[in-house]
Amino acid sequence: MGRLRKKGQAGAAKAYVTRSLAIKKLQCSLADFRRLCILKGIFPREPRHRKKANKGSSAPASFYYTKDIAYLAHEPVLKKLREHKAFAKRLSRALGRAEWSSAKSLQDNKPVYKLDHIIKERYPTFIDAVRDIDDALCMIFLFASLPSNARVSPSLIENCSRLAAEWQLYVMHSHSLRKAFFSIKGVYYQAEVMDQTVTWLVPYQFTQHIPSDVDVRVMLTFLELYQTLLGFVFFKLYADAGLVYPPPIDVKKEEAAAGVGAFSLQEANRSESAPSTKKTSVEVDGKKVSGKDVRQTIKSIVSSTAADADADMPVVDATEQEADEEFVAHPSTSNPEEAAALPTLHSLSSLPQSTATKLFAPYTFWLSRETSRPIFEFLVRAFGGRIGWPASSGGGSPFEEDDESITHVIIDRPVVERANETPEQRERRLRRKFVQPQWVVDCINAGKILLEETYAQGQTLPPHLSPFGERTGAYDPMTGLTEDAEMAEASDESEIEEDEEAAADEDEEVDDAKDKSKVARKVAAAVADDAAALRAAELEAEAAGVDYGMFEKEVAKSQKKAQKVKAVEPDIAEAEMNKMMMSNKQRKLYEKMKYGNRKRETENAKLDERRKSLQKAKKKQEKTK
Amino acid sequence: MAVSGNAPNGKKRKQAPAKEPEPSDEEALPEVGLEMLSDEERENGASDSEGDAIDEFPEIDARSDTSEEEDAEGLEEGDGEEDEDETDETEAESDDEIRIFPKLKTVISDITGQPKKVYPDIEPDYDSDSSTEDAPNRVGDVPMHWYDDLPHVGYSIDGKKVLKPARGDELDKFLQTVDDPSAWTSAFDKNTQMDKPLTAEELDIIRRLQANENPDAEYDPYEPTIEWFTGKGKEEIMPLSAAPEPKRRWIASKWEKQKVMKIVRAIRQGLILPAKPKTASTRPQFYAIWNEEPSTHAPPLPAPKPHLPTHAESYNPPEEYLPTEGERKEWESTDKEDRERDFLPQKYHSLRLVPAYNQFIQERFSRQLDLYLAPRIQRAKLNIDPESLVPKLPSPSSLRPFPHYRSLRFTHTKGRVRCTSISPDGAWVVSADEEGIVSLWEVTVGREVKRWSMGEKVGAVEWCPRSDASFFVVATEEKLHFIIPPNLPAAVLTATQTLLAPATLPPAPATPSPVKWTNPKSVGDGPILVLDLPQSSGLPKDIAWHKKGDYFATVSSGGNQGGVWIHQMSRRHSQAPFKKIKGSVQLSLFHPTKPHFFVARYVRIYNLAEQKLLKTLIPGIRWISTMDVHPSGDHLIVGGYDRKLCWFDLELSEKPYKIMRYHSRAIRSLHFHPTYPLFASSSDDGSIQIFHARVYNDLMTDPLIVPLKILRGHEVREGLGVLQVKWVPRQPWLVSAGADSNVAVWCS
Repeated sequence: MGRLRKKGQAGAAKAYVTRSLAIKKLQCSLADFRRLCILKGIFPREPRHRKKANKGSSAPASFYYTKDIAYLAHEPVLKKLREHKAFAKRLSRALGRAEWSSAKSLQDNKPVYKLDHIIKERYPTFIDAVRDIDDALCMIFLFASLPSNARVSPSLIENCSRLAAEWQLYVMHSHSLRKAFFSIKGVYYQAEVMDQTVTWLVPYQFTQHIPSDVDVRVMLTFLELYQTLLGFVFFKLYADAGLVYPPPIDVKKEEAAAGVGAFSLQEANRSESAPSTKKTSVEVDGKKVSGKDVRQTIKSIVSSTAADADADMPVVDATEQEADEEFVAHPSTSNPEEAAALPTLHSLSSLPQSTATKLFAPYTFWLSRETSRPIFEFLVRAFGGRIGWPASSGGGSPFEEDDESITHVIIDRPVVERANETPEQRERRLRRKFVQPQWVVDCINAGKILLEETYAQGQTLPPHLSPFGERTGAYDPMTGLTEDAEMAEASDESEIEEDEEAAADEDEEVDDAKDKSKVARKVAAAVADDAAALRAAELEAEAAGVDYGMFEKEVAKSQKKAQKVKAVEPDIAEAEMNKMMMSNKQRKLYEKMKYGNRKRETENAKLDERRKSLQKAKKKQEKTK
Repeated sequence: MAVSGNAPNGKKRKQAPAKEPEPSDEEALPEVGLEMLSDEERENGASDSEGDAIDEFPEIDARSDTSEEEDAEGLEEGDGEEDEDETDETEAESDDEIRIFPKLKTVISDITGQPKKVYPDIEPDYDSDSSTEDAPNRVGDVPMHWYDDLPHVGYSIDGKKVLKPARGDELDKFLQTVDDPSAWTSAFDKNTQMDKPLTAEELDIIRRLQANENPDAEYDPYEPTIEWFTGKGKEEIMPLSAAPEPKRRWIASKWEKQKVMKIVRAIRQGLILPAKPKTASTRPQFYAIWNEEPSTHAPPLPAPKPHLPTHAESYNPPEEYLPTEGERKEWESTDKEDRERDFLPQKYHSLRLVPAYNQFIQERFSRQLDLYLAPRIQRAKLNIDPESLVPKLPSPSSLRPFPHYRSLRFTHTKGRVRCTSISPDGAWVVSADEEGIVSLWEVTVGREVKRWSMGEKVGAVEWCPRSDASFFVVATEEKLHFIIPPNLPAAVLTATQTLLAPATLPPAPATPSPVKWTNPKSVGDGPILVLDLPQSSGLPKDIAWHKKGDYFATVSSGGNQGGVWIHQMSRRHSQAPFKKIKGSVQLSLFHPTKPHFFVARYVRIYNLAEQKLLKTLIPGIRWISTMDVHPSGDHLIVGGYDRKLCWFDLELSEKPYKIMRYHSRAIRSLHFHPTYPLFASSSDDGSIQIFHARVYNDLMTDPLIVPLKILRGHEVREGLGVLQVKWVPRQPWLVSAGADSNVAVWCS
């Protein structure tokens, strides 16, 4: 016999500590503990046996790993928090004694903690960090849109909006945006960075206030971490893209509400990256393309569309532009075919990338003033398009409304009659395509330019579907729109026909079609019953004047149907009986799964049915018209 | 010293007892404060001066204690005037009673003409100095252990030896301590080698030391400051020195200036930097944090990502996603946590109409709460087809024959058909109902050949399995009737008759049995043999024949010995196998091949030949309704009222090999087919379940149990369904007796 084991000395009792014990161990306040947990990413665990972990008590408690807490005890941030506590005491004392100078020197030496080590610890590799920036981006974008108040300082909001702009700049620069979705909650964007899909949600541009039931301290703590994380992630992303981080900001433009446009991307230390790009010579379409060739072509293009280039995004300086692959972002409107055909270094460097990333490259957009500039500026520029906006939407528009290159106008208002319109304006209007905002996103999600007509101004829009798709096996409205629509149409027609037939029956006694249908029904009944009835049905069919071939067909059809029914029935019965042999556990699992499946199916069926009824109603409406 | 008159008298002042100016003098002083002398000291002083108060010491001590208490009270009260008054009084009294200090006289000096204090002369007699009073030992301050071995302790002033005083033993010492109340305040004096009582002064020192006070009673820690040179009227007007003020006092130091300027210059040149505020660089510095090698530690698991939005969340969803009015109401009425979706799908015709989402911040917040407050568990999600959980069994159609339809139905007039039995040749069925009607009919056509009326409830009917004789036993209240069916071949009939009513009765057993075997005189077509079970044994519920047909066992509902009787036909003898059995026995069964006997409560298996318990099976069923043993004898099925069917492999454990629960009501009857690999169960839910049960000879293969068919056709009456099922021997046919007074034959 081994040593006697005491209760509560090993196992779950030792592996877990409750929160109150953890706080006692760390000798910090609950608020500090929460801050530490948030920063370090420590979360409670669910022990397998709560009672064992809680030393026999079944009182509700949240448990943490003892080791987690032990690591927390060595955390430098915890030390800083303690120092801060002392600092706060000292400061309040100094203020109470009206010792302003000592208070000031205290304030100057206020203890602050750094989160660098935590970032490195939580995200050992860059990929880990990129994988986890979804929440961070959501928060940054939310706070960028919040008004400042006593608890949320303006500098914080400014920093958030700077980070948001930096991220958008990077996504635009790298053309890594893949999907976008207008939801009722906001705009979802999905980008692919370092082979990781990053999804973030940006609220619509409205002033929001932090509700009272939300603990701002928690959000601010998270924000603290997220700001640091994003700073490091952006630094790395910018560095990898050969850009300077942080991108320099143009204060004048910023004050003119240029948003993202206020920042300019700067190439970092060209000499380092230049040799590698210069020496690349890639074969495209059987032609050898060297950097020199490309530069020459660029020169020619630049000279042809000099005006465009000048007015273009402040992404790169003109001098850099000449030497760089960036020219794709500035499509020539004069000869789009050429621009499209030309292989560029940028496209070569990202060969596996689909061409859809430059979807809007050939187009120039103008934003109507009721549309949201930040959303569409980001979307269009991320897909290589050019975009301009009226001054009412903020400064920094690269071109004016009367620019000849504008191909599309994103407009979101009903059609109005233009009474006094100069012929020039009219001509311009006719040349441009007016589309509703949804067109842009649907194009992006479809990966191709959709027909503008369905999205034209004033048109009823087709439904906007989530590009992220549903869970597998869920109801798919798209299949309904394509295949089922035809089927439904057909069935609708037949139904209508039948209805009409019924109406006709009353008028005319003898109708061939009616007989046929009658015969068919009888045959079905006969097959189900037996041979004698079949014979009778045959006779009747003959009497009705239905030819034998047709009758045969009917018989075969109904027989098949009957067989199907019969074959299905015993199968079900057998399966039911086989369930007797299942163990209790298996049966419960089975029932659970079946329940879930059934629930989903009914949900799908409900949606399907609803759609059909809606379609029918629509048809009827059309008919009555 | 207490000379000062302006001492604030919050505390009792302890004054030096000897050679002090008299209090009367103090009274004479103009601004005299109250000087408080404790009684204690006064007494001490008295005792000192008198020198003979040793015996009275304890009393004094007690008083001093009380006075000390008073002191304490006085202290607590703070500056109590009362206290002062009291001390005043005591002072006055003491003045009257005893004079400790020599009396002071004030006389007018002849020389100065001023009053002066005159003390009486000190008389230098023995009495005056207490220290020299009685110290017979003049040995001096030498270590007294030098005298340890000597009879004396030193020498007197006369040079005579001072002998050691007689010292008692320990007991005496103890008695002395008990007798003498002052023993505890006395200490051993080495000089005189005897106990000397401590003086009050010494005791006071001890007390002070104990109380962590200064041992000196005169020491006053709170002496008032005496302003010798300051205070009103004592200001210094003239300077101490007449020297003029030196210049350096009012000219700035040149050297200091030079030193400061050195620092200033250094600061100007940037050699000395003023302390930068540590938190000046509030802007976080970013650098390539991921350039170093990552640690070998596994990264913490990333938090699960939130679900991506679905079509329903679109600002312009397909119309079928829009909730109906009912759904909207339901969504609004449910709690936030219980909602399947956290939003209601809405449709806007254009993007400009979409308002702000009012739950945006809450949702972000709840996500963050999830991130840091919610316990995370990694769960393996089972992504399998539920149908794969259903065991794959051979198709019933490949396991034919088995009964699947009802070929005929035999109806009793009324009453539930409790029991039925089929003749061993498989041609006849006998069925009995609760009214006491026993019908004999053919299996194939259902024609009733004969009917007996027992007049009372029939508990069981069982056909004898013998082939050479043909009869069946009907159990009624405390009676077993042996009945020979009609239309028997002559040979069989005679054999049966000789068996049941032999001409020569076998010898009666030595001990008279309570069971009586009687042949009624007028046979007719009634029972040829009647067996009277003991009184108050109740209705036999179960008859179990041994395979050979010589023995059969009955189980009655009442009586002791568990109501179990084993009867032997050839010897016309009955015996109760159990003297006493715990609980009531519900069923009994003979093993088909071995001399084993099954008794159901917990299912016990007895060896009849060796008369011992072999095994106890634990079916886990509270009330066993039925059991049957497989013809091979290795398997047992037990059915209970709690809907469970347990399959026991008798070679294996006493726990069931398989427990099945498929009937929705209590199982009533189970029966193995004697030849086909079939068994059937019937239940109160009115259904009969047919199973294929193949048992393999090798021990490695588990028996194959395949459910084949559910037969429905009996009605449920008053909660009772199919009460008994019996297989027809040699045919895959089943006979079932139901509570709807029908007996059905199910054919393949």
